[in-house]
Amino acid sequence: MSSVATAPSPLSRLLSFWPIVTLVALATSTFLLLLPVYNIVGLSFSGQEGGAGIFENYIMFFSEPYYYRSLINSFIVSISAMVLALLIGVPAAYIVSRYDIVGRSLIKTAVVLTFVSPPFIGSYSWVVLLGRKGVLSQMFADVGISLPSIYGAPGIIFVFTLQFFPFVFLLVSSGLKSIDQSVEDAARNLGSGEGRTFFTVIAPLLLPSITTGALLVFIASFTDLGTPIILGERFRVLPVLIYGEFVNDFGGRPVLASTLAVLLLIVTTGALLLQRRLAARFSYATSAIRPLTLQSPGPLKRFLASVFIYGLVLLALLPMINIVISAFLKSNGPVLVAKFTLANFDKVWRMADGPLLNTVMFTTIATAMCAIMGTMIAYIIARRSGRISALLDTVVMFSYAVPGIVLGVGLVVTYHNPPLALTGTPLILILAYFIRRLPFSVRSSVSSLQQLSRDTEEASINLGAGPGRTFLKITVPLLSMAILSGALLTWSNTIRELSATLVLQSGSTTTISVEIFNEVANGNFGTASALGMTLIVLTFLPLLLLFTFLGKNEEALV
Amino acid sequence: MPAIKLDQVSRAYGKQVYAVRDLTLEIPDGSFTTLLGPSGCGKTTTLRMIAGLDMPTKGTIRIGDKLAFSLEEGKSLAPAKRGLGLVFQSYALWPHLTVAKNISFGLEVQKVPRAEATRRIEQVATALQIDGLLGRYTSELSGGQQQRVAIARVLVMQPSVLLLDEPLSNLDATLRMDMRAELKRLHQETGATIIYVTHDQLEALTMSTHIALMQSGRLQQFAPPLEVYAHPANQFAADFLGNPRINLLEGSVERGHFKCAGLDLALPDTVSPADTPTATLGLRAEELRLHGASGPGLAEARVTTLLPTGSDWYYNVELAGKSLIVRQNDGPQLRLGETVHVEARPESIKLFAGDGRALLAAPTVPMGS
Ligand SMILES: Nc1ncnc2c1ncn2[C@@H]1O[C@H](COP(=O)(O)OP(=O)(O)OP(=O)(O)O)[C@@H](O)[C@H]1O
Ligand SMILES: [Mg+2]
Repeated sequence: MSSVATAPSPLSRLLSFWPIVTLVALATSTFLLLLPVYNIVGLSFSGQEGGAGIFENYIMFFSEPYYYRSLINSFIVSISAMVLALLIGVPAAYIVSRYDIVGRSLIKTAVVLTFVSPPFIGSYSWVVLLGRKGVLSQMFADVGISLPSIYGAPGIIFVFTLQFFPFVFLLVSSGLKSIDQSVEDAARNLGSGEGRTFFTVIAPLLLPSITTGALLVFIASFTDLGTPIILGERFRVLPVLIYGEFVNDFGGRPVLASTLAVLLLIVTTGALLLQRRLAARFSYATSAIRPLTLQSPGPLKRFLASVFIYGLVLLALLPMINIVISAFLKSNGPVLVAKFTLANFDKVWRMADGPLLNTVMFTTIATAMCAIMGTMIAYIIARRSGRISALLDTVVMFSYAVPGIVLGVGLVVTYHNPPLALTGTPLILILAYFIRRLPFSVRSSVSSLQQLSRDTEEASINLGAGPGRTFLKITVPLLSMAILSGALLTWSNTIRELSATLVLQSGSTTTISVEIFNEVANGNFGTASALGMTLIVLTFLPLLLLFTFLGKNEEALV
Repeated sequence: MPAIKLDQVSRAYGKQVYAVRDLTLEIPDGSFTTLLGPSGCGKTTTLRMIAGLDMPTKGTIRIGDKLAFSLEEGKSLAPAKRGLGLVFQSYALWPHLTVAKNISFGLEVQKVPRAEATRRIEQVATALQIDGLLGRYTSELSGGQQQRVAIARVLVMQPSVLLLDEPLSNLDATLRMDMRAELKRLHQETGATIIYVTHDQLEALTMSTHIALMQSGRLQQFAPPLEVYAHPANQFAADFLGNPRINLLEGSVERGHFKCAGLDLALPDTVSPADTPTATLGLRAEELRLHGASGPGLAEARVTTLLPTGSDWYYNVELAGKSLIVRQNDGPQLRLGETVHVEARPESIKLFAGDGRALLAAPTVPMGS
């Protein structure tokens, strides 16, 4: 509320608790985020051998089809996935929120489950099902139907759509919750049918959710690395090219990888800025006194809606069901045999003190750091408004826009050489996870702080407690639920991180997600499935905790 | 015990918006001073600046012999060093702590020894009748109990100045009456200086030794309650205090008479204000009398509403097209539509210039406009 007035004695104010925390936060984000980005931008403008000057790399990119095709391809798959996700996600959310079809909450849980499953293993699961020798392909081939190929652009779009439509589903569901029944009643009362009412009255109110959902699908598709590597074959998208160039260049100066990374970053940042503007433009302040009611549709409508929603959920869950079954099947190289075995889990056990331990340890430490730093940053943003706090807010949001692969390349470029040769150490992975997932904690605590009256803290100041003590004894306990739910979200999102990890890991710091990736690359689907199942459980457990004990709903995920 | 002095204190938001403007005020030692004014007039802001939770954009604040804030000298005393206890409008109790922990928080900060702390907590809890609640969490308390805990949390620190921001606004009418008496007793027992914020004029009139009346960030009048009531410095002060609201009639002053349609009132000869074409006459309901028979200086009116309250009668009468409210506690029983004759006692008349300034000299110096 009240902004801090001009401070009389600058020096003593600077040496107190919050200014120091602000300084630390700014320094951390500068070294972990701004400097790496600055460095790849710098590299991208450095010519290799004289040549065409600072734009040399960009000129090369836009003149060589091999390169610029990847950008076009990225746009093709991302925009297609975005459109399809809207076409599926909006009706699905409407049906689940409005119609009293059986198992509504189970459907929501299923959607969350598909949402949090590691994307690349889902892709490989589809290969097993729909690949050239896929289980389903063969089954359908036997009865004379040839299913379309899962490889190339269509396959990627298909998997992205199923993987990311939950963004739209969850946001639109929560948007629907904030619409008052009177809005619909008024339209229906004037003789408007259900479809017309939806398009003329409800959909406009959902625009903020729809645009946000759409752009999140776009960004997620545009930056995903795992799926296009597995399904792309000769169809290359930008992140795949970055990874390829980076691996080629390793040890040298990843000039081309940096150039590509900058292009990727420009697109994601643009999309995020667009999302913020659209969300602000379309946001009508509505609050539901009486939320939209559940309806009992007629038999035909109910039948169609049920077929659609159950079909969708089944399709989205199929790769995961496949993983769970495959995890217990004997494998003969890439071919799975219909015999039960626990052998696949031997590998998981053997990894217990290697990749598995790494994964849990890095994730836990990064999550703890996020929780601590994120809460303090949230406090600065929410309570100490001013130019510096606004800057911090922007920087934290920017870390949201930096794709994992871009951050990975940036950190390698920045911390590859002495004195700060950090690549290959556990530290660099932890720091990467930390900066990448910081926004979860910040957002969670900021929204909680905005509900908490300032008086609560000022009462403590008035009784003589300093700012540090007040924060620890009053603010933190009151925020504990928000901090915990932020931490659980951070954990779930960190543990399955792949793209930054691929770039930053060395053999000894490898994680489960990288191991799954390797097993998939080597065609050991049984082992990959066992690992994948382990990872899904590790991801889903904290969310279960979040939903059941902390009373959060599924929308907290987006 | 310190007096609190504010000198030309302002709090601006941006260049245009002033929450408090040029506030000069000397709150006497040991007084029960009320900051009174409508919502948004800057009461809370003033209190927060005194407590050190907000900083003025101009001016000086002194607490006793300590300089608490001075922009010129670049000095701002930390809130903790001001020795003031603030009770928030929202109570601001900490829901994660028990009542006992809420109260002992400040003592722990000051590292008061255990035994001493326990003794002081018990003493305060007994005085405020919350000794049975010490083990509870604050969410398990009623509004009135929460308010006592909020006061106890501050009182246990034995502050020399107690700042209370609308502490009774969340309570129901009966409880509010009880708490008023309790706060007044508290003032007498502790002898502390109390600065009390309210927008309830009755609360201000009944409880305080001094009222600082504010409007739009500016001080309107600073005086003991009965003086503000009897000699309002301006039309705003006259209008804000008193229930029912003061009757206001617009007209002009000509040769010692107030004139408006249907009314020609001789002003007391002790003061004879200069002629002015626009003036406003203020007449309090209880200072008017109704007579059945006509007589010199009485204005004719018609009864339009009767409002008995049990102890008094309130009448709305129509005088030359304007409605006046009159309070009578004896006199004739009047009927609706009856013609009556209104008497205004000359010594109680209040008269204001076009700009709202009081024209009939009051003993206090009017401040602000
Ligand atoms: N952060 C701010 N920015 C701009 N104006 C503000 C800010 N905080 C307060 N104000 C303004 O300052 C004025 C005084 O506010 P203050 O809270 O002191 O009022 P108040 O007298 O305590 O009112 P109430 O009786 O409603 O509590 C109000 O008009 C308010 O709108
Ligand atoms: Mg207030």
